[in-house]
Amino acid sequence: MELELTEEQSWISESIDALLSREWVAPQDVATATGERRRRVWTALVAFGALGIGGRTAGGDEGGLEAVELCLIARALGSHLASLPFLGSAAVRLALAPQAGSLPLGLAGLLSSQDAIAIALLEAGSGWTVERAGTRLARGSDGLNIRGEKVSIDQLQAVDQLAVVATLDGKPALAVTPAGAAGLTRHAQRCFDQTVPMGTARFDAVPVPGSRVLGGPEARQVLQRLMTAGSLLTAAEAVGAAGHILELACRYAGERRQFGRTIGSFQALRHILADAYVRQQSGWSAVRYAAAAFDEGDPEAAQAASIAKAYVSRGAQEVAHSAMQVFGGIAFTAEHPAHRFLRRIGVRAQQFGDAAHHERRLGRELAERAVRARPVLAQASPVPTQASLA
Amino acid sequence: MAPEERRLRDEVRAFLAENTPSAADLPRSLDARIEALRGWQARCYQAGYVGRAWPREFGGGGRAPVEQIVVDQELAGAGAPEFVNVVGLDVLGPSLLRFGTEKQRQRHIPPILDAREIWCQGFSEPEAGSDLASLRTRAVERDGRFVLSGQKTWVSWGQFAHWCGVLARTEEPDPSGPRHRGISMLIVDMNSPGVDIRPMTQITGHAEFCELFFDDVLVPEQNLLSNRGDGWKIAMYTLGHERGTAALPRQVKLRTWLDRLAVALRDRALDGRALLDDPGTQVSLAQAMIGIEVLRYHAQRTVGEFLSGGAVGPDSSSVKLLMAEAEQRLAATAVELLGPAMEQAGPAEQDEDAFWEETYLYSRAASVYGGTRQIQRNIIADRVLALPQE
Repeated sequence: MELELTEEQSWISESIDALLSREWVAPQDVATATGERRRRVWTALVAFGALGIGGRTAGGDEGGLEAVELCLIARALGSHLASLPFLGSAAVRLALAPQAGSLPLGLAGLLSSQDAIAIALLEAGSGWTVERAGTRLARGSDGLNIRGEKVSIDQLQAVDQLAVVATLDGKPALAVTPAGAAGLTRHAQRCFDQTVPMGTARFDAVPVPGSRVLGGPEARQVLQRLMTAGSLLTAAEAVGAAGHILELACRYAGERRQFGRTIGSFQALRHILADAYVRQQSGWSAVRYAAAAFDEGDPEAAQAASIAKAYVSRGAQEVAHSAMQVFGGIAFTAEHPAHRFLRRIGVRAQQFGDAAHHERRLGRELAERAVRARPVLAQASPVPTQASLA
Repeated sequence: MAPEERRLRDEVRAFLAENTPSAADLPRSLDARIEALRGWQARCYQAGYVGRAWPREFGGGGRAPVEQIVVDQELAGAGAPEFVNVVGLDVLGPSLLRFGTEKQRQRHIPPILDAREIWCQGFSEPEAGSDLASLRTRAVERDGRFVLSGQKTWVSWGQFAHWCGVLARTEEPDPSGPRHRGISMLIVDMNSPGVDIRPMTQITGHAEFCELFFDDVLVPEQNLLSNRGDGWKIAMYTLGHERGTAALPRQVKLRTWLDRLAVALRDRALDGRALLDDPGTQVSLAQAMIGIEVLRYHAQRTVGEFLSGGAVGPDSSSVKLLMAEAEQRLAATAVELLGPAMEQAGPAEQDEDAFWEETYLYSRAASVYGGTRQIQRNIIADRVLALPQE
């Protein structure tokens, strides 16, 4: 697996960073970013080509952005604490792209559109699963309509389309409907990160044409990819946010003086920061690897994404906690940006399954593999093992 | 994986399926076991699997470094015994290749490769552990020879070694200069008069390492590696090299141990229920797996930079920290999960239990040898984060 960035990937990463440095607000001001600014930066991001997503086909590389590039963008968004409808817009397209040729027309059309998309998945009391959705696609005399209620929809107020995870004849299905459709009512919902607009949506028999619905075995595949892509992008954003707060903490440790010394010269803090660095860097390695596996159609891509999401969900929070310990009391003030990073990381850690969710899944799969495995053959004892004890 | 790497992997797999000695094939007594392990390394060398990337003119394979990593991963995955000349292969050999004279390389490299001559390293001393630069062993030049006196400790395989790479002070310490100045690296014949070797029993019950005493040992001038005063530079190169490349095969080994643990848990019951069926057990296994897999992702990303021509940089310290963490978590998890069953194990399970007890005890050394966890954090704080010096 190729884990070094290509020149083009590095260029994308640097360009998005430059765009956000220019157009977005500083971390301590993120709560003051107006709706007008959000729209302007989103338009700039789309104009850059961030939605030009296309996976590889049997015929070869389509040349569109894939998971690795989209994770680089998400990492930059996280680093700047940008609040834009990127996550859903990118994840839905990543999920649909490989089937572009066989999708119903309305869904295929999304891939070439510039519409912002939000994912309506969670329901009150449900977990991060695409099975057993209470929201149904009911058959009426005039075709299909959506009935149910979804909660915690990221960027609900900022999008053009909603990708709704539902059931059709008792099986998982995906329907995409305009955010302003008749019969759809939206309400703002509070979020741990106030800078991420979230909402609930009620679907009272919202009509949806068959060309915008995916059911059957194809839906299951696309929904699995949607969960994997969502895990990757949320993890990438958390890694970006963790990287930035760590950088701020290191800078602070190099300036702040106590006991007549810069506090960064105290071993207790140096070691906290070194551990945080390892967590953040290895978190990116995990996202990077899992994204490449996703793009290559590796059969273990979903497992790698679960590993990355579980690891980053814990690790990025650990980094934020460590950084706040280094800042001390100042990080407990509302105007200091530390809590903005902490909140963003906390929300992304939850979305598409927190660490415990993915650990349970990985543990179950491990147990299933062991049940199928043959008995262990006696292996040579590990003597000698350790290379050196210097 | 490139097609030629896949071909090599398949070839190594076929070789190992035929040739890997099982636990029963290895003699119990340590002396006879070491002889058998020398034979094993020689057989692997003949097959082209030892020193595959070392220069041809000294008996190496002259291939790309990635090929040795492919081979080492297969060896680890097959549960093959580790090479008995591991210190020569991982530590002193690379230093000889990098810093040795033509004559020294001609003399020493070929017998390292086929295990005709075992190597050990004399770095640590009773009063110079993590603080290696405070070492006191002295080498005084007299009549074209060095007269060596002092004491070394934690010398792995010293009792079987023909040669030892010894760090010794060749110049008087200058109180105003850095303490690591004036240290040199000498190649010491272990059969020289005045060398006293005392094996020490470790917590595992094995006598893998020794204390060495040098009492006016005469070392010919031509056995100085590089120049007088280059010892510190060589030691740092050596340790960095070891950290940078050992992680991938180690990770494969850890992965085989994880799978082995899952099967052991499958086959053990407590109160009539297989240990593996417990969801808490599954989550603990998943957490151990995450540590091992993230080690792989991170090592691949950083080794990739090394293989494409970059130096082994301070990121090798991140890999070293993750490696110790993964190994210790796995071993502690095994003992914790098997713990209650270990107490009541029947005769059939006792070999398995002995394996895990030993693996657990060994794992405690992983955050000490080759530079402690705290030293690695210091390296990151200084060289990556550029925090103020203590």
